[in-house]
Amino acid sequence: MVKYVRQLQFLLFLLPILAIYSLFTIYPLIKSFFLSFTNFDGYTEAYDFIGLKNYVRIFSDDAITSAISYTLFFTFGKALLVTLLAIPLAMILDQKFLTRNIHRAIFFFPSIPSGLLLAYIWGFILAPIGSGVLNSVLSELFNIGPQPWLSAPLLAKLSTIVVATWAITGWHAVLYLAFLQSIPKDYYEAASIDGANRLQQIRFITFPLLAPAMTVSVMLLLTGGLKVFEIPFALTKGGPGYETYSITQVIVLRGISETQYGLASAMSIVFFLIVLAIAIFQVTVMQRREQGIQ
Amino acid sequence: MKKTFEKRLWILDIIMLPAGLIAFFPFYLIIVNTFKTMQDAARSPMALPSKWIFKNYIQVFEETSILQSFWNSFIITVCSVVLIVLIGAMAAYPVVFNANRLTRFAMLYLLAGFMIPFQATLIPLFQLMSDLHLIDKISGLIILYTSGSVFVFFLMTGYMKSIPRELPEAAVIDGCSVWGIFWRIIFPLLKPITITSIIFQTMWIWNDFLAPMLFLNSSSKSTLVLQIYKAKGEFTVDWPMFMTLTVITLVPIFIFFIIMQKHIVKGIAAGAVKG
Repeated sequence: MVKYVRQLQFLLFLLPILAIYSLFTIYPLIKSFFLSFTNFDGYTEAYDFIGLKNYVRIFSDDAITSAISYTLFFTFGKALLVTLLAIPLAMILDQKFLTRNIHRAIFFFPSIPSGLLLAYIWGFILAPIGSGVLNSVLSELFNIGPQPWLSAPLLAKLSTIVVATWAITGWHAVLYLAFLQSIPKDYYEAASIDGANRLQQIRFITFPLLAPAMTVSVMLLLTGGLKVFEIPFALTKGGPGYETYSITQVIVLRGISETQYGLASAMSIVFFLIVLAIAIFQVTVMQRREQGIQ
Repeated sequence: MKKTFEKRLWILDIIMLPAGLIAFFPFYLIIVNTFKTMQDAARSPMALPSKWIFKNYIQVFEETSILQSFWNSFIITVCSVVLIVLIGAMAAYPVVFNANRLTRFAMLYLLAGFMIPFQATLIPLFQLMSDLHLIDKISGLIILYTSGSVFVFFLMTGYMKSIPRELPEAAVIDGCSVWGIFWRIIFPLLKPITITSIIFQTMWIWNDFLAPMLFLNSSSKSTLVLQIYKAKGEFTVDWPMFMTLTVITLVPIFIFFIIMQKHIVKGIAAGAVKG
């Protein structure tokens, strides 16, 4: 009897999380799945099952196809750029130079404020008109006319990637820095006694030992990238056309603004599957890579 | 040997200086323009003000409800974070110290939550919130954010495994209740991971834009981020005014950064090395 009372008490500790998680995460996910097969519009109580029609419509809806391709482009572009910059930055910030601490703070700080705020700040720099900061610099230094940083399709996509990279590189550099600092100094001493130069040391000691950090960092970059919303929304409002619509923005647009609940739900389920597939693929590949290196 | 070493480090200072200036430039730009008139800012956005003015700051406090928004953000963040940490830590306790089929199932069930993006649940969530009359309510947003406790739950379980089992076992022999063991023994030992959890949840909730945009309508309930979003529409012409609002909202974040910097870095490191 006493045992059951104890078990029941333990159960009470789990109850709040199970309740809130079931209500606000699991139930809506199941309902998304269910709604994705209907033509529910959020108002009329009566709705019909329309099979896979919503899923088919995804591929003929320009906003949606554009959002999927932009979100993937943004995610991989940002992940690549951040990884290429964060590793050398971490290596530099690991050295003992005079302004090291100031530089650590400067590069890290942009990861603290809201993405919306950062994107608005960059809006002044990238303003496509002649008085935009970047354009006025270019015209003064190189006599280049104003560039449509946020209004030409490819430039707008690249601009959002650059801003996102600026914001998060320092954060990932700190992550790599943590791993660099856990590498025993003896390894380098032993290698330099064996006659390995600095580049060889980086190639054969630093890089292999950073592999686990890379797995974590890339995973965070990919899952975070797929959920992108604020930076393109604040910089370009999704434009020009649908060129920088994120998946999140299109779910909000089709679902909540236009109350096409069925279509938006199908989009949500496709998004969930993309996130799942990329996360599983990335972790499997990179863990195999870690084992291959060691 | 020593000399070449020092020389190389000087080179790093020289290399990093322009890189640091570029990285900091966006912040310089907005700060400097808050002290200019509209004409001055439009004519030479990068230069120092031709005449330093402070009226933008006064005007922001007079013309916007920034203090109200600050207060809303504060209440939402504090309440959500407290609930998240308590609920997350409580749930980890039976999973670690009373493992059985039920708690193992609960853990797997919660693990699935990591893979589910908020966006995939958005449409039914919006309906659910309106059915529960939680739209345009600060309490509604707080309840919604507490689902973030799943993440804290996993941080807590990981950390709790390092607590020796003898501690709660000895307390049981002394006649301490399940409830008492948690609050008197386990919870105080969780301090480091509690700090990490508080920092990351605070940053996430304070900075969130999507949920306030969808679930708060009336301007008296705006969070700071939402206020910035709305002001962008109002002050399209008055750049210095908008930048001033932005700079003011950056001040609490900056203070938070200065105070918490060490803990934030430690948190990133701990999370990464474990993962």
